[in-house]
Amino acid sequence: MSAVTAFLANRWVRLGVFGVVLVVLGVLPLIADPFTNQTIARIAVFAVAVLGLNIVMGYTGQVSLGQIFFVGVGAYCAAIPIRAWWGTDVYTWSIVIGLVLAIVVPGVIGLLVALAAARLRGLAIAMITIALPIIGVPLAKRFSDLTGGNEGLSVRRLPYGEGDAAGVGNPFAAPAGSGLANDQWQYYLVLLIAIIVFVLAYFLVRGRYGRAFAIVRENEAVAASMGISPYRYKVLSFTIAAVFGGIAGFLYIVALQYTSSETLSFGHSIELVIATIVGGAGSIVGSILGGAFYVLIPQITNALQLSDYTLVAQGVIILLVLFLLPGGLASLPRTIRRLARRRRGAHSVDAGDPAGSASVTTQHQVPTSKERNT
Amino acid sequence: MNQGALFVQLVVDGLATGSIYAALALAIVLVNQATGLINFAQGGMAVLGAYLGMTFGNLAIPAVGPVAGITIGIVASVIASFVIGALVERFLMRRFQGGDPDTAVVATIGLLTLITGLCGLIWTYNYLPYPFYFSAGLSFRIGDIAIDVWSLTTFITILVLMGLLQALFRGTKLGLGLRAVADNPRSAALSGLRVGTLLMIGWGLAAALGSVAGVLVAVKSQLIPGMFDAALVYALAAVIIGGLDSPVGAVVAALGIAVLENLAGTYLDWVGHDLKIAVPFVLIFIVLILRPQGLFGRKSVVRV
Repeated sequence: MSAVTAFLANRWVRLGVFGVVLVVLGVLPLIADPFTNQTIARIAVFAVAVLGLNIVMGYTGQVSLGQIFFVGVGAYCAAIPIRAWWGTDVYTWSIVIGLVLAIVVPGVIGLLVALAAARLRGLAIAMITIALPIIGVPLAKRFSDLTGGNEGLSVRRLPYGEGDAAGVGNPFAAPAGSGLANDQWQYYLVLLIAIIVFVLAYFLVRGRYGRAFAIVRENEAVAASMGISPYRYKVLSFTIAAVFGGIAGFLYIVALQYTSSETLSFGHSIELVIATIVGGAGSIVGSILGGAFYVLIPQITNALQLSDYTLVAQGVIILLVLFLLPGGLASLPRTIRRLARRRRGAHSVDAGDPAGSASVTTQHQVPTSKERNT
Repeated sequence: MNQGALFVQLVVDGLATGSIYAALALAIVLVNQATGLINFAQGGMAVLGAYLGMTFGNLAIPAVGPVAGITIGIVASVIASFVIGALVERFLMRRFQGGDPDTAVVATIGLLTLITGLCGLIWTYNYLPYPFYFSAGLSFRIGDIAIDVWSLTTFITILVLMGLLQALFRGTKLGLGLRAVADNPRSAALSGLRVGTLLMIGWGLAAALGSVAGVLVAVKSQLIPGMFDAALVYALAAVIIGGLDSPVGAVVAALGIAVLENLAGTYLDWVGHDLKIAVPFVLIFIVLILRPQGLFGRKSVVRV
């Protein structure tokens, strides 16, 4: 077992695993059916959204309940210019403009919200960010000229630049010479951008900013005493989360070519928080698992014709994870290794692990409440 | 209707919805005072209580007649909510007590999802009418002003409950114990209080209070699992503005928010009915920038 662990800890082995995963992801869409490709593309979309939420929640330790709002805004920012300019002289650029807007607008909104929310400590960010989706939905409906209101915006059939037989086209259809089907083209586009975002996030959380985030999460007073402004880093991490949310919104348009006010509803925001914790707070791999959880649970319950059970399943799973696997699914290999070590009778049960310390506190409290009588 | 009468009516209606937010805000403050947590499932638990009240009421009405049946439903809802609140504390939240508050918050969010899902599963996602003593549309007139019987009932009920709660906290031994646990659980335990039991009672009381609010809202707008999502947001806004450690502040803020948003929704054209919910958050922004600890809150000093 330990040989396997040591083997996996090797830097080159990890890079190798990463390379193999990349190759598999690159070849898969050529052989898989369109539904699988679309599912994986959607997982990548929400993995980016979860990654953003993870920067705030997992790495900086601030609960944000509004991440889906930025995804929704990003989707609108991508769809609106594409609809406005597709078919004119600047039609290919409309996609680039959509991407830029989907980064800038959510980022600015996130910055402004964080400037106010981060002034309070603890749960204030959670209590304020919960308002974003709840205000966002009526706001989107109010500006229905821009957002399409309840009907939403579709970019699937727009007046085509060169004009094909039907005179309409899909901005995210595969280019003529590529030899790819639409779902394969969209898959590659989504995955390429998602991988870029994940690589950026990887270096962010391992660098200077990542360490600052970790100190703010552990103890704000200590951070302040070290010259790290908790306020500034909370605002920064929240802004980055909003930008990632916006990019996820752009990818949402690439993968689904449709958005509506339903995209940014309160329920989805809660599901995104649950997905982040189930996947693993403070873990890059956990963000991918979180994206998979977000997409696959409704898909599985639908396939089993048990869609009424979706919320119950999500609720039960998050509570089970909190009780049994506080590090999320990403910590499963570590937990299994620890259990295996414990079974062999080794004395290396580290006190610092979250599961251990949680059970210690509960054991501590039960006697205090029982041993005393009024 | 003349302008003055419209204004008075808007204020009266605002006070009624405000007292609903106040009940929920008070439940949140109650739990926060006892455990230092924000219970995001507070609204969900209130909805569950209302569903239970509806079910018990509908079962009892054929047997004992409407008035007694409705009363049985409400009493059953309050008792069931108290028990559920206490059980949630003992078997779910106790585990996270004293740990990372963020984890505990996520646990309450999971609980909210679970409760909403269960309500949808058992009672469907369709609007269900709540059986009550009078119809929600009933109103009487004083001069030019039409006053909803529902508004008046809600306002008085919640006011009475707050009075009782205040009396419990200030005038009874149980209340003293609850305050002691909230203040410092460790020294409360050392002076012989059953901390665990008191925590369960605190959560139970909060849930029972919430269920009354749930029943009152269900009477007005019928029952649906997501019924309290928006109310929860208002309650949280009231708690932020009023200060987490101040029950009076939360109540005043809740009433103020509801009256103000009612006035803004009518008098400011661009706010309208749909964007009323943005009003408390504009207030929050102003309050946070001017007074980060809340209007009535105390500033806490943290040492390394």
